[in-house]
Amino acid sequence: MPVVAPLTLLVVAAALVLSGWAAWFAVTDRAVVLRQLLGAAVVEALLVVQLVVAAVLIATGSPDIEVWELWGYLVTVLLILPFAAAWAFAERSRWSSVVLVVAALTVVFLEWRLVQIWSR
Amino acid sequence: MQRTPTAPSSPSSTSAGFGRLLVLVYGILAVAATVRGAYQLATDGASAPLAYGLSLGAGVVYVVATLALGRGTPGARRVAWVACAVELGGVLAVGVATIVDADAFPEATVWSSFGQGYGYVPLVLPVVGLVWLARTRRGAASSTTVGPATDPTDPTDPDPKDAPDR
Repeated sequence: MPVVAPLTLLVVAAALVLSGWAAWFAVTDRAVVLRQLLGAAVVEALLVVQLVVAAVLIATGSPDIEVWELWGYLVTVLLILPFAAAWAFAERSRWSSVVLVVAALTVVFLEWRLVQIWSR
Repeated sequence: MQRTPTAPSSPSSTSAGFGRLLVLVYGILAVAATVRGAYQLATDGASAPLAYGLSLGAGVVYVVATLALGRGTPGARRVAWVACAVELGGVLAVGVATIVDADAFPEATVWSSFGQGYGYVPLVLPVVGLVWLARTRRGAASSTTVGPATDPTDPTDPDPKDAPDR
């Protein structure tokens, strides 16, 4: 947990920035732009780092947690942004921005669940 | 997950505009219910097979609804109608059952207590899905509902252009 916390905070902060950015676009009636997809890629890269760090921690420390449940969330959270970003980008209306908001907030929610699992 | 719908210009596309959001939320719920049901059945299947099997079954229905709404072809729309109806019936039936006979559901499912564990999204989503299907149909078919005298469209052949028989 002490090692994961800063990384998790970074992921959550990045995802919140992305959702705020997309929410601004939704409010101002604009569709997702390429730069936001790059932002999503940054969040995704952080999630991959998180997966690697967690894998190392699980392998070396064997914490007393539900490992498979943790893996379920670690992998699922990776799937959200690539699919959602592609799905959003194909829509050329404000709804694409709403899609990105919901996707980024879903990542935040899954991170919260990850922290719950890790710390119980 | 999705190729761009083959007919993006279709006015009744269930995946355009608001439908884009609807399909995303359906997809997220589909993954959540399916992964959870599979995980619970695999690790703890003996203790509550009904509850876990139900979660997995619900997840499969959500997957079907996600794909059907994402495609939006006439055939897919019919599938989506059925999937949304099954979801609504399921969440209502299990919601009542978990209150009346809590012992039958010792472990939570995606539909327990009307989907409380998922922020009632499982209760709201099928209703929104059905309304969306009705709205997108009305927009496309408003002119045809009045004139039943001639019905040139064969319902079994919604896409005549690929019909040269072979």
